[in-house]
Amino acid sequence: MSRPGSDPGLTGRQPSAVHGALSVLEEVARAGPGVTAQQISRSLGLPRATTYRLLNLLVQDEYLVRMPDLAGFALGHKVALLAGLAAAAAPAENPHDIVVELRGRIRGGVHLASYRDGVLELVDVDPDFPLSDERRLLSDLSSSALGTLLIAERRHDPLPFSSRPTPAMPGRGCFAAALRDATGALVAGVALALPEQRLAEPESLLELIAPECRRLEAALR
Amino acid sequence: MTAQNPPDRLVALGRAIARPPLVAGVARNSPMAGLERRTVGFVDVLAQSIGAVAPAAGTATVPALIAVQAGSGVLIAVAAAWLLAICVGATLNQFALRLAAPGSLYTFTAKGLGAGPAFAAGAGLLVGYGFIAMFGVVGAAYFLQSFLAVLAGSWAASGWVAAALLVGVGAVCFAVLRRGIRLSARVTLVIELASLLVILALLAVVLSRLSPAELVAPFTAPRPAVGGVVAGTAVALTAFVGFESAASLGREAARPFLTVPRTIRWTVLGVGAVYLLSSYTQLAGAGAFGIAFDGGQAVARLASDTDVAAVGTLLDLGLAASFTACAIASLTALARAVFTLGREGVLPRAVGRIEPLRKTPYRALALVVPVTVAVPLVLHAAGWSPWQSLEFLIVVSAAGYLFAYVLATAALPAFLRRIGESSARTDLVAVVAAGGLGAVLITYLAVSVEGEPVAVIVVGGLAVLAALWYLYVRRTRSRALAGAGLFDHTTSSDLLGGS
Repeated sequence: MSRPGSDPGLTGRQPSAVHGALSVLEEVARAGPGVTAQQISRSLGLPRATTYRLLNLLVQDEYLVRMPDLAGFALGHKVALLAGLAAAAAPAENPHDIVVELRGRIRGGVHLASYRDGVLELVDVDPDFPLSDERRLLSDLSSSALGTLLIAERRHDPLPFSSRPTPAMPGRGCFAAALRDATGALVAGVALALPEQRLAEPESLLELIAPECRRLEAALR
Repeated sequence: MTAQNPPDRLVALGRAIARPPLVAGVARNSPMAGLERRTVGFVDVLAQSIGAVAPAAGTATVPALIAVQAGSGVLIAVAAAWLLAICVGATLNQFALRLAAPGSLYTFTAKGLGAGPAFAAGAGLLVGYGFIAMFGVVGAAYFLQSFLAVLAGSWAASGWVAAALLVGVGAVCFAVLRRGIRLSARVTLVIELASLLVILALLAVVLSRLSPAELVAPFTAPRPAVGGVVAGTAVALTAFVGFESAASLGREAARPFLTVPRTIRWTVLGVGAVYLLSSYTQLAGAGAFGIAFDGGQAVARLASDTDVAAVGTLLDLGLAASFTACAIASLTALARAVFTLGREGVLPRAVGRIEPLRKTPYRALALVVPVTVAVPLVLHAAGWSPWQSLEFLIVVSAAGYLFAYVLATAALPAFLRRIGESSARTDLVAVVAAGGLGAVLITYLAVSVEGEPVAVIVVGGLAVLAALWYLYVRRTRSRALAGAGLFDHTTSSDLLGGS
């Protein structure tokens, strides 16, 4: 699991305890509830004994909790005390509110995905239009419009939008518009899940959602 | 990969805080609901373990009992028991770090080895806690009586007074326990520390009166026989049992994954140090004053021989208090084990009820406290002396405890493997603990056949009873067995963004 742009060289050099603890917290947040000690140890490249110790310390202080199966971990209520982070992360306008607004206007599914750090992550899936195959969407980037945007970005051939038929659902398709930060780097994407005939004119779709796209770009900055 | 991120890039964490993720599979309530949750502080949790060990009572009585087996090897036996207890504590702490379980050793075993072995461990635990509670009640009544005899004269020595004291101590225990865990823990701690102080003061007086030659005498004793030392180690270990009982407050403790393991570690270390010091002082003192080193009176006789008879009388009161604390703490843990079994349906579900206002397992208490008083009353009626009763009760209790320890420590490697957190070091310590305890248990029973045949027969009878109950439960309540190992798991309010 290497990530473009990150330096893979620190394995074997012990990060400081605080640094390690924060890394573990970040990894649990990234991987989601239920991630196990072994998975965390592998993803972070930390020795297992170190990982267990950090995990148990974080559980003792209630920053992490064990899931009822005792193997998985989730973020505990104490994490909310890291309020500085919350302030930094909370934008002036909540992206979720903008997406909800958009959902009211579009007859179809509206999803928001993040590309932060070069990884595709679904952050706001339309509850009325569940994804047909989330696993495939995340694993096979070329199968979706959202993934295609990321592939193009990695090839240094950025696209403003992309559209694709949905493999698992004949007659349906997906349109994705790129959201960029001030430097022009791809940070997020808005995806519309629609009947295939509505994807015939993607430029007009882009125009349709342009106001919300601009607001989202501002909110995500 | 995230390990290399400087801490200012906690991207996912920031997002999770801004919008906490939905977590599937975490319920609003745990199966242990009803008991108070996350309210009892570190000092009170420590009090639970210290009370259950009752180091004051142990200090005063156990060195003499060890000497019967180990001869001149008392100090070696105490040190060996200390080491073994440290291994057991470290192993049980691996469980206590990960799950908050009022059923303590029973639940730990269930998590590693499944329902059958857990049932056996549960039976051992009930016997262990139950008989040590009786031990506490008998000891408290005995030392109270000898205190009263000094104050009030011969009428206090009658059998009726002894019986009344047994019932009285039981009633005090019930009243304190029903009021809630915090009161019982504080009462326990104050009592235990006070009596320990009295004993340590006495030991200091004894040491201050010894000549240098008398001070080194215990170390120049002839070499003891190996078999005797092993048996002595087994006896010495009985003075440690109860240190794990903080685990039974897993739900009630605040920050349980911190306070419970810390309590277990500190209790084992501290109590072992006190035992070593006290054994040494008693050996040196008994040698110097020419006191026969047997029976329960060694400390008291040391007191009178050092012209501090007032301290000796005070000591009776302190020991009575310490034994009461032992009874309270053991009943606390026993009631929570019974409560857990009731919640699971292994025992009748009625004993899994909680008194809503006080949040104590009153049905379990109402079951176990009368039994704890009834057995000593029967022994008393049968004409046993208090000292005979104490020796009998400690053997049965130790057998139950050690058996439960063996199973719980043996369960650790399987448990850690199942959750994917095993390591060679924890496995090794667990194997040493389980193996050592197994050897000690067998030695202990073998030695006790001679000295306490009735106790060994009772242990066998209880084992048969437990096996029959197991067969009955398996036939009629197999679902309860399948669900064995309920504990106070994470609830939605523990989660980030939880309510």
